Amino acid sequence: MSNGNGSGNPQYDVVIVGAGVSGNLIAKQLGLAGKKVLILEAGPAVPDSREQYMENFYLALAKTPESPYPSLAGRTGPGVGTLPNPSVIPTPRATVLSIGGKPDVSHLIQSETAGVSGTTPDNQPEVRQLQFSSTYDRIGGGTAWHWLGSVPRLVPHDLTMKTTYDVFYDWPIEYSEMQRLWGLAESEIGVAASVAQQQPLQAAIGMTYPPGYQYPMGPIPSSVVDQTVSNGVSGMSVPGEGSEGGKEYSVFVTNTPAGRNSEPYQDRRVCAGNTNCIPICPIQAKWDPTVTLGDALNTGNVTVSYQSVATNIAVDGNNVTQIDYLQWSYDANGNLQSTPASVTGKIYVAACHAIENAKLLLLSNDQEGIANKSDQVGRNLMDHVLYLAWALAPAPVWGYRGPLATGGIESLRDGEFRTNRAAFRMEIGNEGWNFACGDPYTTTLDFVTGTNGSQLNPGATRLGGTALAMTLNDRLTRQFRFGLLLEQAPQADNCVTIDKNNTDGLGIPRPHVDYGLDKYTLEGFRVAADTCSAIFQQMGAQEFTQPTVNPYPPDKKPGPGDFNYEGKMYHMYGAGHIMGTHRMGTDPCTSVVDATQKSHDVQNLWIVGSGSFPTVATANPTLTIMALAFKSAEAITAALGA
Amino acid sequence: MTTTPSTGGPSDSVVQDFADMSAALTGFQSSFLRPFLDPTNLSEVFYNFAVAQVGQTAMDDLLNAFRAIQKEPAQKIADTLLEVKIPTGKESSQAQIAQAIILMWYLGSWYTPAYQTANNQPGQVLQVISSQAYTKSLVWNVAQAHPMGFSAFTFGYWSQPPAGLNTFGVNTGGGQ
Repeated sequence: MSNGNGSGNPQYDVVIVGAGVSGNLIAKQLGLAGKKVLILEAGPAVPDSREQYMENFYLALAKTPESPYPSLAGRTGPGVGTLPNPSVIPTPRATVLSIGGKPDVSHLIQSETAGVSGTTPDNQPEVRQLQFSSTYDRIGGGTAWHWLGSVPRLVPHDLTMKTTYDVFYDWPIEYSEMQRLWGLAESEIGVAASVAQQQPLQAAIGMTYPPGYQYPMGPIPSSVVDQTVSNGVSGMSVPGEGSEGGKEYSVFVTNTPAGRNSEPYQDRRVCAGNTNCIPICPIQAKWDPTVTLGDALNTGNVTVSYQSVATNIAVDGNNVTQIDYLQWSYDANGNLQSTPASVTGKIYVAACHAIENAKLLLLSNDQEGIANKSDQVGRNLMDHVLYLAWALAPAPVWGYRGPLATGGIESLRDGEFRTNRAAFRMEIGNEGWNFACGDPYTTTLDFVTGTNGSQLNPGATRLGGTALAMTLNDRLTRQFRFGLLLEQAPQADNCVTIDKNNTDGLGIPRPHVDYGLDKYTLEGFRVAADTCSAIFQQMGAQEFTQPTVNPYPPDKKPGPGDFNYEGKMYHMYGAGHIMGTHRMGTDPCTSVVDATQKSHDVQNLWIVGSGSFPTVATANPTLTIMALAFKSAEAITAALGA
Repeated sequence: MTTTPSTGGPSDSVVQDFADMSAALTGFQSSFLRPFLDPTNLSEVFYNFAVAQVGQTAMDDLLNAFRAIQKEPAQKIADTLLEVKIPTGKESSQAQIAQAIILMWYLGSWYTPAYQTANNQPGQVLQVISSQAYTKSLVWNVAQAHPMGFSAFTFGYWSQPPAGLNTFGVNTGGGQ
C-alpha cells in the first residue's frame, strides 16, 4: 500500500490497527454502513482451518494459552524448538512460559525482582516489582482466540465507584446506555444465558435488565461441580466488614452467561464440552473474533493487511495524517524481511490491545507520544489479579468435563466494603486441578514414580495396574478449584513505557512494564483467601491451596507472582485481562479518551479496547470491550456522515 | 490385523505381548489398548518409541520378565514388574522402563526413565509422542472424562455424572 501521495483523497474511510475483538467489530459495523475499511494486523493471517492450531496444541508439552498459536508453536523462522528470542522475531508477544524471563525470553521488559513488600510514602502497605502476569497474542483474530467465553455484565456500582464509594473514578457512561450496548454485544457473540437465572443477583448486587430482555439463547447447563458447590454453600453467608456491622452477604452459585452456543448460531455448532475454551475451542462453538472478521469481510468493504506492524501514527496538529507500518515476511532462507509502507484514512482506530495500544501511542511522533496531554497513556495498567484456591471434594464432582467454567459466585461482587478493599467474582473451574498444579499430569507422575508434586501422594507410593487406575480415579474426580477475579485499583505508577534499549526483530522498541499491588487490592487478596477457605470448610472439602506456585525455594526468593502481605504468602496469577492504559473520562486532563473512545487530543483518532476501562470491577472484560466497540462504531459512522 | 511386516518391524506376537503387558501395567483391558480394529495402532507405535529410547535388549528383557509371569493376576504382574515393594529411588532400571510405559499410555508423552537422566530424577518429559498419543491418552479415561480439546461427548453431558469406570476401558478388578 503506497502513500496516497500525501495530498489526494484518503485511501480508506477508516484505518484500524488490530484484527481483534474491537477492530473486527468496528470494521464489520462500518463495512455494513458502506464505509471502506483497512485493518492492519501485525500477525499472521487467520488460517483457513483451525486444524493446524489444534495439532500445535496436541503436540505442545506445556498446554498454555499461547500453545496453539504461531511464533511459539508451529512457527517458521528463528527460535524453533525453544522459547523464541523476542529481539529477533517480528511480532513477539507476552507468554505464560516467559513470565519472569529476561529480555531474551520475555517480550515485556520487567524488573527481575519479584514481589517486594514495602510501604508507600504515606505509610500504606504495598507490593512493588511484581511480574505482570497476563499475556496476549498478536495474530489475526487476536488474543480472544483463547478467551474463556464468560460474559457477565458489570453491576451498576461498577460504573460509579467515585460517587458511590468515594474511590477511583466514575465511568462516563450511564448504566442504561451500557445495558443497550451489552445487548448488542450479546447478540453479536451469541450469549447463552437466562435472565430468570440471573434474577437473584438483583437483590444481591443490583443486577438488572431492561424489561422484557432475553438473551439470544438458553443457558449452558451447569456442571456437576457447580451443582456440588451450590449445594455445599446452601444457606451460607459471610459477614460484612468494618462499618457494615451486622450485614451478611449471602453466598450462592449462579449460572454464568457464556459466549458459547447452546443451540446452533451464526452457522456454528453447539458446545460439546471439550474443556478447552482456553487455549482453543476445537469446534468454534465459542464465539471468537474471527467470526466477526468473516462477517466484516463479507460486506465487501473491508480489507485486512496481515503481517503489517504499525510503527507510527503520524499527526499534524490535532489530526492523524497517516499510519506508517512495516510489512514483514520470511524469505526462502528463513530470513526476516520488512518493507516500510504507509496508509491514509479519514479516521484512524488503535485497536491492538491495552499494552500494544499504549506502546504505539508512545512510539508515535518520533517517540514523543501522541494523544497524551493527560500523561495517562500507559498508566493505570490493571488486571483482574487472580487468586486460585483448590480442594478435594468429599465425593466425586467429575471435573475435566464441560466448558472450563459454567458457574460462579457473583454475590460478593459489590458492597460497602469496596470503600476499603477490592471486590471479587468467584469462578468455579470445571478442569480439576489443571490450572492449579498441571493435573492430571502431576498426580499421575506422582503415583507412578513415587513423587509428591500434587501433595496427593505424601507417602511417595508407587502404583501400577488397577490400583493405580482406581487411586487416580478417586483423586482426579474429586478435584475442583475457584479462580477469583480481583478488582485491581488504578495506579499511576503501574505503567507501560517503551524500552528503547530492547527492540523486536523489526527494530521496534518493546514495552517496559512497572507493576505492583496497593493496599486496596492486597486487602482483597486477604479476604479472597479467607472466603475460599470458609467455603471449602462449609462444603466439607479438603483444601490444598499452596501459597506459592512451586514448593517454596530453598533460597527463600519468591517466584514470579509470589508476594508477602502482612506476614502471609500469596500467589497472584494473571487473568489475561489487560486493562486501563488509555482510560476514558469526561476530563481531558485526567483521561485519554471520551465515552466513545475517541481521543480527547486528536480529533480523528479512536483508541479502543479494555485500555479504556477507568476501573476494572470484577466482570470478565470481553463483553464490555465489544459493547464499547459498538459505541465507537456508532460515533465513527456519525463522524464520517452519509 | 497383519502379521510380521517385511520391513523389520516387531512381529504381531511381540506387539500383542507388549499390549498385554501394558494392560497389566496400566490397569486397562488389553482389548481396549489393542482392539481388533486398531487404526491408530498405538501399541506398535509405543513399542517402537520405547525401543528407540531404551534399546532392544532392555525391552526384550522386560517383555521376557512379563512372559514369565503372564498367567498371574494382572495386579500381581504390575506390582512385580514395577517392584512396588522396593523403596522409591531404589527400583531397577527395568522397573523404571515399566513406569515410562505406563506414563506413555496415560499421558501420551515419553518421560525419560530416571536412570537415563543426568541427575537420576524421574518425571523429565521428552516429547508428546504424537497427536494421536495425546487424544488417546488414558488418564482422561481414568478421570471418566476426555482429553482436553478432544471430546466425543455431546452438549450438556457435563451436567450429569459420567458412565461407570469400566466403560472407559479400565480393568476395575477381577483380572480379565
